[in-house]
Amino acid sequence: MMLLSLLLLFSMILAACGDNKSGSNSSAADGNAGKNAANTQQDDKNKDAAPVKLRVFSTFGGTDSAREAFQQAIDEFTASHPNVTIENDTMSANDDGFRTKVNTDMNSGNEPDLLFYFIGADAEGFVNADKVVPLNDLLDADPEWKNGFIPSALDFAKQPDGNIYAAPLTGFYEGLFVNKKIFEENGLELPTDWDKLTAAVKTLSAKGIIPLSVPFDQSHYLIEYSILSAAGPEGQSKGLKDGIDPNWEKAYAAMKELYDLGAFPKDAATIDLNMSGNYFSEGLAAMTIEGSWAIGGWTDETKDNATVIPFPTVPGGLGSGNNVVGGFGSGFYLPKSVYNDAAKKDSVVALLKHLTSPAIIQKIATANGGTPAADVEISGLAQVAMDGFAMAANSDSISSPVDSKVAPETFNDLRASVQQVVTGKKTPTEAIESAKKVEDANK
Amino acid sequence: MKGDRKYIFMFLFPSALFLTVFLYYPFFKSFYLSFYRTKGFFDKKFVGWDNFERLFTDKLLGAATLHTLELMLYVLLFQVGIALVLAVLIEGISRFKDFYRTVFFFPVVISGTAISLLFVLFYNYNFGLLNNILANFGIEKIFWLDEGNALKAVAIPTVWHYVGFYFILFLTAMSKIPADYYEAARLEGIGAIKRTTMLTIPLIMSDIKVVITLAITGTLKVFEFVWVITSGQNGSEVLGTYMYKKAMVDQNFGYGSAIAIYMVIFGVLLALLANRLLKRDEITY
Repeated sequence: MMLLSLLLLFSMILAACGDNKSGSNSSAADGNAGKNAANTQQDDKNKDAAPVKLRVFSTFGGTDSAREAFQQAIDEFTASHPNVTIENDTMSANDDGFRTKVNTDMNSGNEPDLLFYFIGADAEGFVNADKVVPLNDLLDADPEWKNGFIPSALDFAKQPDGNIYAAPLTGFYEGLFVNKKIFEENGLELPTDWDKLTAAVKTLSAKGIIPLSVPFDQSHYLIEYSILSAAGPEGQSKGLKDGIDPNWEKAYAAMKELYDLGAFPKDAATIDLNMSGNYFSEGLAAMTIEGSWAIGGWTDETKDNATVIPFPTVPGGLGSGNNVVGGFGSGFYLPKSVYNDAAKKDSVVALLKHLTSPAIIQKIATANGGTPAADVEISGLAQVAMDGFAMAANSDSISSPVDSKVAPETFNDLRASVQQVVTGKKTPTEAIESAKKVEDANK
Repeated sequence: MKGDRKYIFMFLFPSALFLTVFLYYPFFKSFYLSFYRTKGFFDKKFVGWDNFERLFTDKLLGAATLHTLELMLYVLLFQVGIALVLAVLIEGISRFKDFYRTVFFFPVVISGTAISLLFVLFYNYNFGLLNNILANFGIEKIFWLDEGNALKAVAIPTVWHYVGFYFILFLTAMSKIPADYYEAARLEGIGAIKRTTMLTIPLIMSDIKVVITLAITGTLKVFEFVWVITSGQNGSEVLGTYMYKKAMVDQNFGYGSAIAIYMVIFGVLLALLANRLLKRDEITY
C-alpha cells in the first residue's frame, strides 16, 4: 500500500515536472509563432491587405426568416474582400437572454465588431456610456451611402441626444390584423372605427368565434396601440416622466369595454403570444394585434385572407384613428473599440456600408417582410404584408411603441394591470397611477 | 499522512477555485448590487437599504413566498411520499425490479422545459389534451390554468419530474438494511405494513431527512415549470420566477439581487427548521 502511494506520488511529481517543461516550451514556441505572424502580417500589408477577422453580432440566426439573406450578404462581402473573415455570431431575439448578452458584452470589453441591436431606450445604456460611434459624420462624408436610406428611417434611428448611432436595415409596424373571410361570412364591416369594432365583437362572440385574439400577460401590442390611440402621438411620446396624461387611462377603460363585450379569448389570462397568434393563424379568431414580423408564421390560408388596419381610436381618445405604431427599431452599431483599431477600421466601415446598402436592404426586407429602410421595391410578399406597407405609408403618423418611452419595469407594470383592470380588480386610473409610481422609483 | 496534506490541498484547490468564481463571487456581487438601484447595465445608484425595505412592503413578493410554500407542501407530501411508497413496493417484489427502477427514474432525465411544454399542450383551453377528453364525454371544458388551478397545475409536473430521483435514493437506502433484520421480523410473524412502518422507515430515517432537505431547497429553485406553463400568471408566481422577472425582464438588478439574498436566507432558515424538527439519533447498523 505504502509502495503504491509512493509510486503514485512519484508519477504525479514527474507528470507535474513534465507539464511545466512542455508548458514553458510551448509558450516560447507560441511567442515565436506570434512574432512570425506579426512579421508576415506586416509583409502582407506592403503587398496586399492584411487579414482581418471581424465578429458581427445579430439576431439573424436560428429561425429568423432573414437568416439566409443575411449570410449571403456576408458571403458577398468576403468574396470581394478576401482578406476579411467574418464570424457570423447570432442569437435569437425571442427572449430577453439576447439583451443580457449584448449588454454584458458591451459592458465587459467584449464588444463585437459590428452589432445589430435595438434603437431607443434599449440602447441608451451603452450609447450614454460612450461605447459606440455616432454615425453622423460617416454618413455626411459618404452621400451615396446616406442617400440610400429614406430620410424617415434615419430620423427613427436618432437617439434622444439627436445623434444617429445605428444604421437601420428594415423597420416594422404593428396593426390590427383582420381575417377578411370571417368578417365577410358574418356580414361585418372592417373595424375602421370604434363602433364598427364593438359591433363586430358582439356579433362574433355571440357566434362563438374569438373576436380579438390577444393574451393578457404578453399584451404588449394591445397596450401600445390603445395608449397611442387614447393619448395621441404627442401624449404617448411624453411617457410618464413628467406626470400623468389623463388620456392614458382611456386606453384601459377601452380594454375593459372590449372585455365586457367578450372580445378576448376565454383563456386570455393563461395563454402567451404564441398561442394567441396560433388562434388567429388557425382561423379560430377574427382579429389580432400583432407586429409585421408575425405574418411569416401564419398559415398560407390566413395570410391570403388577412388585411391590416390601424387600431381604431378608443372612446374619447385623441388619436386620429390613422396613427400607426411602428418604426425602425433596430440597426447596426459601430462599437468604439473597433473604430479606434486602425487594423480593422477600414474593413468594418466597408462592411457596415455593404450591409446597409439598398441592394442588401431589399433582400432582407423581402425575406422578413419588414419595411425597408431604403427606397426599394419589394415584391413577392403576401397581400397582407403589402397592405401593411400601404398602411404605414398612408398613416397620419408613425410612433415608436410606448415601451420605448418608459422604463422596462414600468411597462411590465402596465402589462400586469391589463388583467386586473378588465376583470374589475383595479380601475384604469389606478393602473396608470401604479405605473407612474414605478416610473418615479426608476429615476 | 503529514506529507499527504499538501496534495490534499492541491487537489481541493481547483474545485475551491471553481466554486469561488462561479458561486461565491456572484453571491457577494449580488449582495453588493442589492444596495443599488440599477437602470439597465450601465447606470447604478447607491440606495442603501431601499431594496430591502421594498422586500417587506412588496405584496407580490409575499404572494410569491406563499405560493412557494404551497408548492413545497405538495412536493413534501406527494413527491417524497410517492417516492417512498414506490420504493417500499419495489423493495417487496423480486422480479422486474430493474424494469420498474428504470421506468420510475426516467422522467428525471428529461429536461424540465420539455416536460413543461408537454403540459402546456395538455392544459390548453381550446385544443389541449385534457379538454378534448372532457369534450368527448360531453363535459364542459375547464380552465386548467385559471386562478384556482394554476399553482396546482404547475405542481403536478414539478412533482412528477423528480419522484424518480428520491425513489432511487430511498431504494439505495433500503438495500443497505441487513437482510437478517427482515428475517427476524418474518420469524416473529410481522406483516408487511408493520414491517414497513416499524422497521424499514425508522432504519432509513437519516436518508428521509436528507431527501426532505433536498426537496425543500429544490422547491426554492423551481423556475422552468412555472415560467413555461403559466409565466407566473393567475397566482402561480414563485420566488424563482419573481426574481427573474425583476432582474432580467424589468432590468432592475438591484431589487432582483435583494430578492436573491432573501431567497438564500429563507432557504437556509427552512432547511435548519426542517433539520431541527426531524432531529433524531442516528442509527448505525
